[in-house]
Amino acid sequence: MTKPKIATVWFEACSGCHMSFLDLDEALVDVLSKVQLTVSPVTDFKDYDFPEVDVGIVEGGVGNTEHKEIAEKLRKHCRILVALGDCAVFGGINTLRNGLPKEEVLRYGFIETESTVNGVMPIHEELPALLDKILPLHEVVPVDVFLPGCPPSPEVIAYGLTEILEGRIPVLPADMIHFD
Amino acid sequence: MESKSKISLKIDGGEVTADEGMTILEVAQQAGIHIPTLCHHPALSKWGGCRMCVVEVEGVPRLVASCVMPVREGMMVVTTNERIIKSRRAVLEFIFAERNHNCMFCEKSGDCELQQLAYDLQMDHMAVPQAFTPYPLDITNDYMGIDHNRCILCGRCVRACAELAGNHVLAFQNRGPRSLIGFDLNETLNGSTCYACGICLQVCPTGAIFNRQRTHYAVKGHTKAWQATDSHCPQCGLLCATTMVVADNTLLKVEGRLTADGKRPDRGQLCFRGRFEIFNDFGERLRHPLVRNAKGRWTEESWENALDRVAKKMNSLRDTAGGQVLFGIASGGVSNEVLIAFRDLLAKGWSAGTIDTFDGSHYRAVLAASRELGHPLEEASWRQLPDSDFVIACGADLSKRQPLLLSLLRRNVLENGSRVAVIGPADVMASFRSFYFETDHEDLPAWVDILWNMAAQASGGTPKAKGKTQKTGQAGGKRYLTDLQKKVGMPAKTRTALTDMVSQYLASKQPLVIAGEALSDAKCASALNHLARLTGLKDPDACGRLMILKRDGNSAGAWKLGIAAQKRPGPKRRLKAGLMLLGEESAADIAVWTGRSAPEFLAVISPHMPTKLLDKAQVFIPRPSWLEEEGTYTASDGNETAHVKKVLTAPEGVRDTWQTLLALADRTGGAPALKTLEQLTKKAAAELNPGIET
Repeated sequence: MTKPKIATVWFEACSGCHMSFLDLDEALVDVLSKVQLTVSPVTDFKDYDFPEVDVGIVEGGVGNTEHKEIAEKLRKHCRILVALGDCAVFGGINTLRNGLPKEEVLRYGFIETESTVNGVMPIHEELPALLDKILPLHEVVPVDVFLPGCPPSPEVIAYGLTEILEGRIPVLPADMIHFD
Repeated sequence: MESKSKISLKIDGGEVTADEGMTILEVAQQAGIHIPTLCHHPALSKWGGCRMCVVEVEGVPRLVASCVMPVREGMMVVTTNERIIKSRRAVLEFIFAERNHNCMFCEKSGDCELQQLAYDLQMDHMAVPQAFTPYPLDITNDYMGIDHNRCILCGRCVRACAELAGNHVLAFQNRGPRSLIGFDLNETLNGSTCYACGICLQVCPTGAIFNRQRTHYAVKGHTKAWQATDSHCPQCGLLCATTMVVADNTLLKVEGRLTADGKRPDRGQLCFRGRFEIFNDFGERLRHPLVRNAKGRWTEESWENALDRVAKKMNSLRDTAGGQVLFGIASGGVSNEVLIAFRDLLAKGWSAGTIDTFDGSHYRAVLAASRELGHPLEEASWRQLPDSDFVIACGADLSKRQPLLLSLLRRNVLENGSRVAVIGPADVMASFRSFYFETDHEDLPAWVDILWNMAAQASGGTPKAKGKTQKTGQAGGKRYLTDLQKKVGMPAKTRTALTDMVSQYLASKQPLVIAGEALSDAKCASALNHLARLTGLKDPDACGRLMILKRDGNSAGAWKLGIAAQKRPGPKRRLKAGLMLLGEESAADIAVWTGRSAPEFLAVISPHMPTKLLDKAQVFIPRPSWLEEEGTYTASDGNETAHVKKVLTAPEGVRDTWQTLLALADRTGGAPALKTLEQLTKKAAAELNPGIET
């Protein structure tokens, strides 16, 4: 029997959810022995021509055109799509910018901050363009599993993965849901 | 009285009985059945605004809000099924989607009712797209901020401000999704008539209204480690009922016990002192005993050596010069147990000639007034306020020391139509007073004299002296009164208003006179007497209508335990050595005792580094703050005792104050009679004979 294949990506986020995944400690060995990790920041596999995978895991909100493109691609190539963490589920801390015009956000981030000298706006045809608002993943593509948390605890991640590997769609019980 | 008829109904299939008039929610809660709520608060009026508590009632096609639906005989209620949960979750998601509820950067996370509902209803994502509309943030006030992004418009704050505080500052403004909680007429929080009592903060279910004084924030996992202890706030003599919430030896919040004690007329409110200023930085903590060596340098010393040094000096002066040269001065903000141990140490151990409190001069003014009257002043309790139909507040700056009384006055005006007259220099009661006579501190005694004379003449029941004088116990003649009025430069218009006020006072059924600190100031001793006589006009047998405000949290306890000296302490040059027991005394308080010539020897027991005494004292001994020490305190009317609990652990090595005092007593040559805290508490209770214990 072949092992289920997993792909993970991170969008507009801090990588904390992936860190929490690594924080599974010794259980990580067990999980990794049961699955085959394909495209993932963990494997440093940056080619987004996804193979057909069983589980796609997304950390982070959809903040620019590249995120949107990858999200759509991943959705096409995975059987079960998981939104991991508050940013993928709700938009998260990045939604602080949603009340501001994106030009203002970019100008502040790339030109006006105290530490910036000769800043340049990251607007170029080869660079992905910032979306007007950062969106939760399920507003861009259909999502099967939601694991909120900032970050989701290793227990939540383990619970979610175990349920999926055993052929169920996990729904977090009340005492496992956390938004912080 | 006819008892309410019983109703029987079924909730989730189980038979329950209820009183007529109860709501489905109340009956369910009584039966231990959980129904989620959000806008509902047991201490506030019923609202029915959020629809989180919806239930199914057989025969009713739509879901009903259980918090506002009265029960009736034979009702069949279902509190949980798929339809109900779907409805509750839809409501919850709309609330989340409307504004910007981001738990990970909200200090309320972990202690938030909205968040808890999302967990309980397993809201693992939002089917409704979020609006992401930015809302304003008001941080104009130092005590609280309001972030409208986190507001769910449940209206608890609006109801609490009106119903509990009686202040009516908060209201809904604008309509629909633009609705905001507003202050007065579109004011900022700080520019409004808000007194920062913080009742809105306490009832807010989300992080919309937040504490700006708190330095430690709720973080993940904390709630489980929190300890909530029911205690009292001993910062003024009202001893408000509190719940102190602590985690990791850090105070997180102080809440008023809104539903705990229906007997307290404040209904569980607190003021800005109890809720916010408790987080103030009171200065560097004193952690070890310090002594000043021969070169004048402060050095750390062991407890035993530091106590030995104090005892040796005091003992030797007692034995050579006599106890008359020794003094002890205690804060009025410490517990009865500490005060008794202090008094016994000074009086029995060292035969000290002078024992006093920092507010001793006020005590002596009260004593003088009662001596002049010929009988003890029977003080009125603050609990009488809600039953009073006419209140005269005289020389009282309520906003500073007892802000809670403002709320009681205000509510009494609004709910019972009582009237308030203010005489004094500062008036914070502008919004609800009926009479205001502005006068400075200097003229206050003359004003009170005028008031008493006018009332005495108007009531005609008191013998009058003739001419320009008045004898003790008598009112002056007309001439005397005119001269006084001339002296304070009273215009005819004011005279008319005063006459009006006096006649209203005399016509009232339950008047109350509040004497502020300015009245018990040494300069005003006779004024207190005149006020007592004024109340005597209404109540000739007892003067139980005069409420005397005290400066410190346990002033009444200190006075009743005989710590405050009956006579003004003698010239300071005769005092050679003393022990000072500090709470949070001001520099001015301390200066009265050390100002011109510092005594030869001064030992100070204090929770904080007494920086003002660095060049005046020889020994500093640390003590816990009131949050770190168990003890009883006596309310300002002297009739009520409250247990203040230890909620924090003092810095390592710091001993309880009573232990330090008993250790000193052990070194005076005779062992102290009382050896444990329980014995001290028992002794305090026996001496104070409190009417009510809380």
